[in-house]
Amino acid sequence: MGEKPLTLYGQALASRMLLGTARYDSPSVLVDAIAAADPAMLTVSVRRQAGVAGRTFWNLLRESGRTILPNTAGCLSAQEAVKTACLARELFDTKRIKLEVIGDEVNLQPDPFGLVDAAIELVRLGFQVFPYCTEDWVVCRRLLDAGCEVLMPWAAPIGTGQGPRNPRALRELRDHLPTVPMIVDAGIGLPSHACQVMEWGFDGVLLNTAVSRALDPVKMASAFADAIRSGRAGFKAGPMISQDIATSSTPEIGRPFTLDSTAPAEAPMLTSP
Amino acid sequence: MFVTVNGQKTSLPELSTLAGLLRQVAPAFPFAVARNEEVVPRESYEQCRLQPGDAIEIVHPAAGG
Repeated sequence: MGEKPLTLYGQALASRMLLGTARYDSPSVLVDAIAAADPAMLTVSVRRQAGVAGRTFWNLLRESGRTILPNTAGCLSAQEAVKTACLARELFDTKRIKLEVIGDEVNLQPDPFGLVDAAIELVRLGFQVFPYCTEDWVVCRRLLDAGCEVLMPWAAPIGTGQGPRNPRALRELRDHLPTVPMIVDAGIGLPSHACQVMEWGFDGVLLNTAVSRALDPVKMASAFADAIRSGRAGFKAGPMISQDIATSSTPEIGRPFTLDSTAPAEAPMLTSP
Repeated sequence: MFVTVNGQKTSLPELSTLAGLLRQVAPAFPFAVARNEEVVPRESYEQCRLQPGDAIEIVHPAAGG
């Protein structure tokens, strides 16, 4: 019997991957990457520019049949993020919002104070908030207090592809909140990074640049899909506890060319006639 | 009168509505609009009377991560 699907805000998801739609070389590459990744959701943004590319993009989103998760990317204050979220709700006709409040324009680190303020207001306005946050345990607790039903801690700054920079804190966060759905968002660069966080028990992964800027984005989308499934299966299988001291996996008993002291009594003895 | 549309100063006849402005600008579908930082629901465009100096934002779906 299969595992129960990941459920976020009451919606059961068919996959544990969320995929960003930015920085692909062409719309057709994005379409093929979506097919290869089979993501549960696609992240999008709201911007002033549209044009011909905008129309193509809209049709592509509709034809993908995927759940749309608009973001507040680039917002530098809680107020700006709330206003952007309201525009996204009107534009995409959805209550879901990937909440980004950026506190530093160099490393794009979330602003924990603005994030919590915006989450409180957006929950009050009826949004389903998916907050992009750091792995800080207290910030995460405040986001849950605000009414967020999912957390999206970063692995590393957006677009860096560095993989988990603070594994210990990420794992402690997972241990502190074993039942809260958590999607690792941002900073994943390799399928092994995605597999790693899934093995630690995170519920899903949100990717963009690692796929879109790969030499072959479609192949990479497929590799990530395999890695995420594999990591999840590894977590569910219950990994062994790592040990400080080596233990031979092959039995010592009966090893040839040794003194016979470890041979079991019932072992057949070779004797001269 | 003048309003700003996505940060650009735009001339409009007096007593214009948001619907009138949108006919003039003809933004690509789909779009959403905010007037003075408040979203205007699409069913209210005809009733939304613009005032001189209003700041209008018109946004579209875009790629994002």
